Amino acid sequence: MTENFSEGRTTVPRIWAVGGGKGGVGKSVIATNIAASIARGDQSVALVDADLGGANLHTLLGVPSPKVNLADFISKKVSSLGEVMTPTPIENVWLVSGAKALVEMANPNFGQKSKILRHLRSLDVDHVVLDLGAGTSFNVLDFFLAARKGVLVVVPEPTSIENAYHFLKAAFFRKLKRAEPRAQVKAAIKEVMNGSGRSKVKTPKDLISQVWSVDPDVGAALVAEASSFRPGLIVNRVDQPSHERLGEDIVSACRDYFGIRIQFLGSLPNDKLVVRSVVEQKPAAEHFAQIPFVSAIRDVVGNLTYARPRTS
Amino acid sequence: MTVRPEDWEILGLEPEADIGQVRRAYRHRRTLYEPAALATYNLLDDEEREGMVDRIEEAYRRILGTDPPAAPQPSPAGNPAVATDVVIGDAPDPISEPGAHLRFHRTAKGVTLHEIAVETKIGVTILEQIENEEFEALPAPAFVRGHVHQYARELKMADAHDFAKFYLTKMQGGGSEVDE
Repeated sequence: MTENFSEGRTTVPRIWAVGGGKGGVGKSVIATNIAASIARGDQSVALVDADLGGANLHTLLGVPSPKVNLADFISKKVSSLGEVMTPTPIENVWLVSGAKALVEMANPNFGQKSKILRHLRSLDVDHVVLDLGAGTSFNVLDFFLAARKGVLVVVPEPTSIENAYHFLKAAFFRKLKRAEPRAQVKAAIKEVMNGSGRSKVKTPKDLISQVWSVDPDVGAALVAEASSFRPGLIVNRVDQPSHERLGEDIVSACRDYFGIRIQFLGSLPNDKLVVRSVVEQKPAAEHFAQIPFVSAIRDVVGNLTYARPRTS
Repeated sequence: MTVRPEDWEILGLEPEADIGQVRRAYRHRRTLYEPAALATYNLLDDEEREGMVDRIEEAYRRILGTDPPAAPQPSPAGNPAVATDVVIGDAPDPISEPGAHLRFHRTAKGVTLHEIAVETKIGVTILEQIENEEFEALPAPAFVRGHVHQYARELKMADAHDFAKFYLTKMQGGGSEVDE
């Protein structure tokens, strides 16, 4: 990669994308508090409101809607994403607002998405936290997959779990589609689905192992894509002992079904003060630093940012 | 019937796993793929779910070289778990003897305290104190309620929530009687 990094910075920011699944499960609140929690560790964060068409992170942060936003960048009113970064009341946290992005901006095309990602990687910060919208649009899926880690948020409700799996299936197959060479991949999958191996295919994991038996090269390519798909998982609004195991159970089920390794980042307790922090427009991690929700966020950030050291 | 490498894989185990780990993994996965399980809600359609359960059953049978015990298997028709209980005797009264009631259900399923501890992440000592009704030694009632509820659920007791209430009633009421 030959990006023009800002002076002195030798590493690209680490990009975390919070998104997918159902609306109203707490993605924006979690993204904001993850950013605030990282910033308290003296690292700089750009919090990006990528929920184009439904952006409101500025409100969670208690700042007026910024004058420049992501839409200005997409429509080339400003030439770099860095110009869209505005300071927030939280030290070390900058906001890239998506506010007032027009509905037609909600689905950037391939070129626009690549440009956004390129600019995100050249921002002069240590971390980028993307708040993606709900749903399984290609927009959400592509940013989720492009991040260093996509983080899926669920709450202990059947509707949320159902949507999360819907999202994971969509993301998983979009990831597999990148396996090369395309024609050979298509042919191998077709051969499995039209042949005797079909009866053995009950799950995506089975599909990959059957493809392996008809074409080891394609099998290896699919396995490479599948094993690099390692989303993170947060279970939000946990208030019963029986929910404590939900995260690990989802990890087990995804391993069985997709053959993928999800990283369970932690459970966040249901906490009335979090609602109050939203109403008062003061991020909990900044204003209610002692509450269990915030210490749980800190653990999540620890799990998220702790990784095998990867040099530049 | 011989064990295949994928049998361990299916139960999410290393090949050298001991019998206790095998049984726990089997029970955990049976629970995970029950039709109403929250953690797998609509991940699999009915056919996929049956396929998953079949392969778990087969892996378990191959590893043990035997049929799975009847007790941990939920069976909609003619509940064999109840039949097993009847053979052993009647369960102690859940209101007057909640600790013994728990122990009865646990032993009826052939599960050790250690296995419960691993599944619930509640310590063996606390589980023992719960069964022995050592109320003085137990933590605050709010914690005990959670533990008892979790323990009862692990045993698949249908009325785990009410049962935890019974336990607390005895713990709080019974405790003061002993003091006087």
